[in-house]
Amino acid sequence: MKVAVHGVGTSHFGRQPERDLVSLAWAAVREAFADADVTAVDAVWVGTVFGPAGVAQRVLRAMGITGIPVITVENACASGTTAFAEAHEAVRTGRYGRVLALGLEQMSTAFAGAITPEATDPEGRSGLALPALYAMAAARYLHDGAVTPAQLAAVSVKNHAHALHNPRAQYSGSFTVEAVLGSRMIADPLTLLQCCPTSDGAAAAVLGPARPGAVGVRSVVLRSGAPWNHRSPHVWGHDVVRDTAADAYAAAGIEPADLDVAEVHDAFTIGEIVTTEALGLVGPGEGGKAAESGRTALGGEQPVNPSGGLLSRGHPLGATGLAQLAEIVWQLRGDAGRRQVDGARLGLVETMGGGVSVLDGNACVIAVLEAP
Amino acid sequence: MSAGADGGIVDGRRCRSCAEVSAFPWPACPACGGAVEPASFGPFGKVWSATVVRIPVPGRTPPYRLAYVDLDDGPRVLAHVQADGAAERVVAASIGSRVRLLPDTDEGDLLVEVVES
Repeated sequence: MKVAVHGVGTSHFGRQPERDLVSLAWAAVREAFADADVTAVDAVWVGTVFGPAGVAQRVLRAMGITGIPVITVENACASGTTAFAEAHEAVRTGRYGRVLALGLEQMSTAFAGAITPEATDPEGRSGLALPALYAMAAARYLHDGAVTPAQLAAVSVKNHAHALHNPRAQYSGSFTVEAVLGSRMIADPLTLLQCCPTSDGAAAAVLGPARPGAVGVRSVVLRSGAPWNHRSPHVWGHDVVRDTAADAYAAAGIEPADLDVAEVHDAFTIGEIVTTEALGLVGPGEGGKAAESGRTALGGEQPVNPSGGLLSRGHPLGATGLAQLAEIVWQLRGDAGRRQVDGARLGLVETMGGGVSVLDGNACVIAVLEAP
Repeated sequence: MSAGADGGIVDGRRCRSCAEVSAFPWPACPACGGAVEPASFGPFGKVWSATVVRIPVPGRTPPYRLAYVDLDDGPRVLAHVQADGAAERVVAASIGSRVRLLPDTDEGDLLVEVVES
């Protein structure tokens, strides 16, 4: 059965310690239900990373979503898109007729600063906070001449400028390359404005059978990373995205050049650069140039992260994938306001979550969507 | 990690099927699931990439230097890099540097010193 996204919704994104998860989730679900013109669903998949046991049912009961199957999934930063992928499969196979995918996370009350991986792995035990993990990739790219500091900064400049037109974004700004590079060093060579903020938020989508007026799902693929080690030809997180993308493009019957718009995992500037290359949107070593030249900016050939991305919209882990999905759905329906990519027909969502030692990512999810 | 004649040694495993090496005492090969046998690596290796963490991390005092090190004929490991001067001038280890494993830090982390930049 062909599957469509009947409706999407999100909360505001930002530091919102005064709001609880019910309030954040309610904003997303209420909007998604209204958008889909439904009042109930047959099952719910919830993506969250740091939520306590039972967080999904605790939140859903407060909005009267009880007595139906509720399944919670965790795949680090790809938890929201994992919920989406599973909800999609449930509709595609006819297991359920209409399914809610919900992502939620409250980071501001759980973390004072950067996240560190689980302490039973060397990365967590040694203090390799997530920015430092990405800094390793950025340092290697700089060493190999695959990117320049100004090109790294150009990703931050671009995505913060995109978010000027996104009222749901955590923050935005007209930063210069110099301001980005001059902001506080977090983990060499990544500066503060090259790192996503600590965010609270929720996002939701209602999936059902294909129907007129709804954004269709051409493909969605989930893959977990193989070992990443001394034999890996690329930086951490590249190959899992490349391989997931190959499957997603084959299933959708498209080439990367066919895509009009993409929301990708830019938790750190280097992330967008490596990801656009791994996705084949640009050639190897061309990701930085694409941001610098405007190729991936709004108005460019293939806009990437028109929402502002994780860097600027914010990155509440479990919510991120469904926030990316909501943006692509709005883009493909022509509902994206001043950040609309003109005539967008085919869009891509990519999320990659990591933190498990030795693996090239805990999970990557890529979805290809098409305009009604 | 244990002590060797020239420096620290990482006690890990080598796969009997695909020769994948790992720095962990896992019961099977992470690449192919094959049977593994004990193997020792180090003390020398090369920096694949490196950074300096300049933000507070629980239990750590910034700034501190970290590197992914490809041990000679061994796995890629994450190690602290020995400080080489005042905190205000700390820089990341140069990529490609030759390094040698030292005894583990007090926290039980791998530690290397740069022997040739």
